[in-house]
Amino acid sequence: MRQNRASLVRRTSELTNLQFALLLAVPVVCFLILVIAYPLGYALWLSLENVQFFGGYQADFVGLANYSDVLNDSAFWHSTWISVRFTAESVILTLLVGMGLALILNRPMRGRALVRAIVILPWAVSPYGAGIVFQYLVQGQTGLATAIAYLLGSPNAINLLTQRWIVELLAIGNAWNIAPLLAFFLLANMATTPRRLYDLAAIDRMKRWEIFRHVTLPPLRFTLFVFTCIVMVFSLRVFDYVYTMSRGGPGDASEVLTYQLYKVSFQDLNLGYGAAMSFYLLGLILISTALLYVLWGRHETQ
Amino acid sequence: MTKIRDDLSRRDVLKASAGLGLGAAASATLLPTAVLGADAGSLKAESGQPVYFRGWEYRTDIVQDNVNRYNKEMNGKIDYATVTGDYPALMEKDLIAKAQLDLFYANPSQAVRFLEGGWVMPANELPAYDSIVADMYPNIRDAWTHKGKLLGLSYFISVRGTMVVNLDKYNKAGFGEGDYPKTWSELYSLLYKLREKGEKQPFLPHWFNEWFGIAWGYALEVMNRGGSVADPETHKPMLTVDGPAGATLEDWKKIWKDGFVPEELLSYNEASYIGAFRSGRYVISPQQIYDIKQFNDPQKSPEIAGKTGFLPYQGQSWGMIDSAIYMMTSRKRPADQTDDLKRFASWYGYKDQNGDCFVANRWMKESMLFSAYKEVMEGPQAAASIKSSLVKPTDYEKLLEVYQHTPYPKGIFNVVWAEEYNSWMKEKLFAFFLKDLAVADVINETNEKINQLNKKYKLG
Amino acid sequence: MKSKTLAILGIAVAICWTLLPLYWFLKLAFETIGEGAQFPPYLVPPRPQPGAFFNIFGHAYRTASGIDLPASGQAGQVILGIRNSLIVAVVVTLVTMVFVVPLAYVFARLEFAHKNKLLGAVLLAASLPPVSTLIPFYSLYVQLDLVGTVPGLVIVTLTITIPFVTWMLIGFFRNLPPVEQLARIDGFSRLYTLIFVVIPMARSGVTVAAIIAFLFSWNEFVYAQVLVTGTSAVTLPVALSGFLFQSPQPNHLSAALWLTIVPPLLVAVFLQRHVAEMNLVDPVH
Repeated sequence: MRQNRASLVRRTSELTNLQFALLLAVPVVCFLILVIAYPLGYALWLSLENVQFFGGYQADFVGLANYSDVLNDSAFWHSTWISVRFTAESVILTLLVGMGLALILNRPMRGRALVRAIVILPWAVSPYGAGIVFQYLVQGQTGLATAIAYLLGSPNAINLLTQRWIVELLAIGNAWNIAPLLAFFLLANMATTPRRLYDLAAIDRMKRWEIFRHVTLPPLRFTLFVFTCIVMVFSLRVFDYVYTMSRGGPGDASEVLTYQLYKVSFQDLNLGYGAAMSFYLLGLILISTALLYVLWGRHETQ
Repeated sequence: MTKIRDDLSRRDVLKASAGLGLGAAASATLLPTAVLGADAGSLKAESGQPVYFRGWEYRTDIVQDNVNRYNKEMNGKIDYATVTGDYPALMEKDLIAKAQLDLFYANPSQAVRFLEGGWVMPANELPAYDSIVADMYPNIRDAWTHKGKLLGLSYFISVRGTMVVNLDKYNKAGFGEGDYPKTWSELYSLLYKLREKGEKQPFLPHWFNEWFGIAWGYALEVMNRGGSVADPETHKPMLTVDGPAGATLEDWKKIWKDGFVPEELLSYNEASYIGAFRSGRYVISPQQIYDIKQFNDPQKSPEIAGKTGFLPYQGQSWGMIDSAIYMMTSRKRPADQTDDLKRFASWYGYKDQNGDCFVANRWMKESMLFSAYKEVMEGPQAAASIKSSLVKPTDYEKLLEVYQHTPYPKGIFNVVWAEEYNSWMKEKLFAFFLKDLAVADVINETNEKINQLNKKYKLG
Repeated sequence: MKSKTLAILGIAVAICWTLLPLYWFLKLAFETIGEGAQFPPYLVPPRPQPGAFFNIFGHAYRTASGIDLPASGQAGQVILGIRNSLIVAVVVTLVTMVFVVPLAYVFARLEFAHKNKLLGAVLLAASLPPVSTLIPFYSLYVQLDLVGTVPGLVIVTLTITIPFVTWMLIGFFRNLPPVEQLARIDGFSRLYTLIFVVIPMARSGVTVAAIIAFLFSWNEFVYAQVLVTGTSAVTLPVALSGFLFQSPQPNHLSAALWLTIVPPLLVAVFLQRHVAEMNLVDPVH
C-alpha cells in the first residue's frame, strides 16, 4: 500500500494543471459530450424534418418550417405560460417553505433529531409519487377537504382540482417535495453563523424581523440563490410529477411545456415538430438561468 | 354492418334463453376438436424460444395464471408482462422499433392502424382460422375484419356505456323501474327530478381523461340517439348541428352549467372513474357492462353491492361496443418461433389442448367479460356468471337485450386515424366545457378535422 | 412565553405540512378496496390490516372480518422492479461518484484552458429535459439493442446524475481550504492529494452527493416508462404505475408507494446527519 502510494506520488508529480485536468476530466467530459451531443444533434436533425413512420418510414426535409409552426401554435404559447407560472410559483413557495422549515428547526428543542427526520420525509418521495399523493389529497372524491367537511357536518365534496387552481396546487406539491432539502442546506448554513451575532443583536434591541434580515439572512443568501436556480430548472423540466397529478388537466389547464412535448412527440409521434418545440423549452431554461444569474447571482459572493 | 342489432330480431333474443342469441345463423355448431386442428400435439411449443406476450394492466393475476398453465402443460416459454402508461402510443412505438413483442392486446381502434402499418400478422394465418371464424358471431367477426383480414382473436367484448343505476339511491329518491328513462333526453330530465329529491350530483358521465374516455362517451351518445360520428365505410364525417350530435352537446352544456358534473372528472383516469361510482356517491353512470359484476361484489364494492342495476333497452340503445383482441406482430423472427407464436395465440385466444375456450371461459366466469365465441356465450357457465352478477337473476335477459342492441362505431374505430381522432376529440370536448365553446363550432370543427384526417391518409 | 408558544405552533405546522399529504395516501395501504372507495373517505382506516403488502408480493390475504384480498398480478413485476431498481440505483451511484468527484474537483480548484466551455457543457446537460431527449435515446437504443436492458437504463440515468451532481459538488470543493499547496510542499502528487487529502476532507459533501445520485436514479420514471416498461428490466416506479390506470386498486398502489419511499427514507435520515456539515456554493464563480 505504502509502496503504491509512493509510486503514485512519483509518476504523476510532474503534471501541469491542464494535463491533470484532462486526465481526470476527459473520460467524463467525453461521455457527457456524447450524451449531450447525440440527443441534441439527433433532435436538431429531427426538427428540420417531417418524419413519418406510418406506411413505411419517411423523412422529408422541411427546413425551419417546424420552428415557425411552433410559434404559430396557440397550444405552445399556452403551455409556455403554464410552465412559467408553475415555475415562478414553485420557486417562491419552495423558498418560503424551505426558509420557514429551517427557522423552525433551527431552534433548540427537545426531540430535535426526530423532528428533523420527519421534516425531511417528503424529499424521499419521488416526483411521480408526490403527484399520486397530491392528486389523491385534493380531489373532491378522495380528498382531505371533503373528509373534514363531512366531519364538520357540511356534507359537500370539496374539489380543489379545478382549472382555476390546478397550477397553484401543482406548485404547492412541488414545494412540499423539494423544500425539505433546501431547509437542510439552510440549516447547515445557519449553524455556521456565530452565536455572538445574535447576542449583539439582542443588545441592540433589534426586533425579530430585523434580526432575521440583518443576522440570519445574509449568510443564507447564496444558498438561496443556488436553490432558486435548481428549483427553476427542475420545475421547467419536470414531467412525471405533472403526469401523475393532473395529466395536464382539467382540460389543458395544467399542460406544462414538457407535457405538451410528450403529447406531440410521444402520443402523436409528430417527432419533427416535437423536436423543434423541445429547443424552445431548452432555450427557455437556459435564458431563465442566465437571467437569474445576471439579476441576482453575480451580486452574491460567498 | 355498423350495428350489431342488424342481425337480430326481438323474438330471437327472448327465445334464446339458454344464452346469447347473437348473430343470425348459429348454424356452426361445435365441431370436433380434431377438425379444428386443436389437438394437444399441435399446440405444444417446440422452438424453445420465448414468445413475448404484452398487455395492459387488467386482472394480471388471471393472465399470469393462464400463461403459467400454458408454460407448464404445453412446454411453453411465454414471457408475459404488462405495459403501463399510454398504451396505444407505447405499442405503436414498439411496433415501429420492431421490439421484442409477439402477441399483444389491442382495441379495434388501434388494430386497423397497426395492420395498415404492416406491423401485424392477421389471424388468417393461423392453422385454425376457419374454425375460429366459424365459431365467432358473424357481426363481431365483421367488426374485427379489415379488408378481408381478421385482425386478431377474441379477448373481450363489452358494452361501454351500460347505464348502471345505484338502486338504493334511486329508490330512496322515490323512483321505480317504471320511471326508468328510455332515452338520453329522458335521462337528463330525470337528473333534475333527482336533484329536487336531494341528490345534488346524481350523474357521473363518461367524461374522464383517457383516450377511451370523453371522446368515446360522445361517440356512444351520438350513436344511441341514432346518429354516427363518421360513415362506417367511407369514414366521412356525419355530425350535424341540428341532429343527434347537436342535441348531445346541448344537453351536455346544460348539465355542466347547472353544476351536475364535478370538474375533477375531466382529469380522472379510468380507475378514479370506477372508484367514484363504487363509492355510492352517484345514482346513474355509463360504465362497462362487465363492471356490474364487481359493483355487485360485496368484497369489492361494499357500498353498492347487490344494489347495482342498469337501464334496460326500451327502444333506444345504451352505450357502444368496446372490444379487445389478441394481435400477433409480424416482426422478423425464426420460422419455428413464429410457429410457436401461432400455437400460443391459438391456445390463448381460442381453444386449449382439450378443445375448450379455456381463457375466454375463465374471463367470463371471473370478470363477466363477453366473448366473440358462441360456445363461450351460449354455455351454461356464461349464464351462471352473468346471473350471479346481477341484482335479480331475472335481469339476465334484459342485460343481454341491452348488449344485443348496442351499436359498434365502425366509422371511427376501423380506420387508421382512430387514435388521432380520439385524442383530438378529447381535448376539443374538454375545451367545449372549460372554454365554453359553441355547439355549432365544435361540430363543424370536428367534421373539418375528420375531413383533414381522411385527406392525410388518402381515404374516401 | 409567547415565543415558546410560537415555536411549538411552528413545529406543529411543520409536522402537519409534512405528514398530512403522506398520511392521507399511505393509510390506503391498510384499507380494503371497498374501504378505500368509501365516500366521504375515512379519516383513519376502520379495520387496519397489512393485506396489501402481502398482495403486492404475490400472496393472498384474508382479513379478520373475512374479506379476501387476492394476490396482485403485478407481483412478479414488483419483485423484479425492486431488484432492478436497486441494481440501477447502486450502480449509477457508484459510477457517478467515481466520475464526478474528480471532475468536480478539477472544475472547482484548477484553472485551465477551455474550462468555462466544458463547464457550460455540464450545465447544459443538467438543463436538458428528459422528455426532449427521450425520442433520440429511444431510437439510439433500438439500434444498439439496449431497449429493455438494465445497462441501457444505467447509461441513460447517468446522463441525469452526472451533470447535476457535478454541479453540486463543484460548489462544495470550492469551499474547502487550500490544502493542495501544503500537500504539494510535502511532495505529494496531485492524484494522491485528491484521494487521500481532499476527498476525506470533503467526506460529508461527497456523501450527500452520493445520496442525491441514489435518489435520482431510484426515482427515475420518465426514461424507464419508455425504455423498460413491459420488459425484464422493469423498475419499481414503472411496476408501480401498473396500479395507476385501469382498475382501481388504491390499496396496492399505496403499498407499492411505501416500497418506493422506504429506501430513500433510510438514506434521508442518514443524510440529515451529514447535511449539517455540507455547504453549498455556486459553480459559476
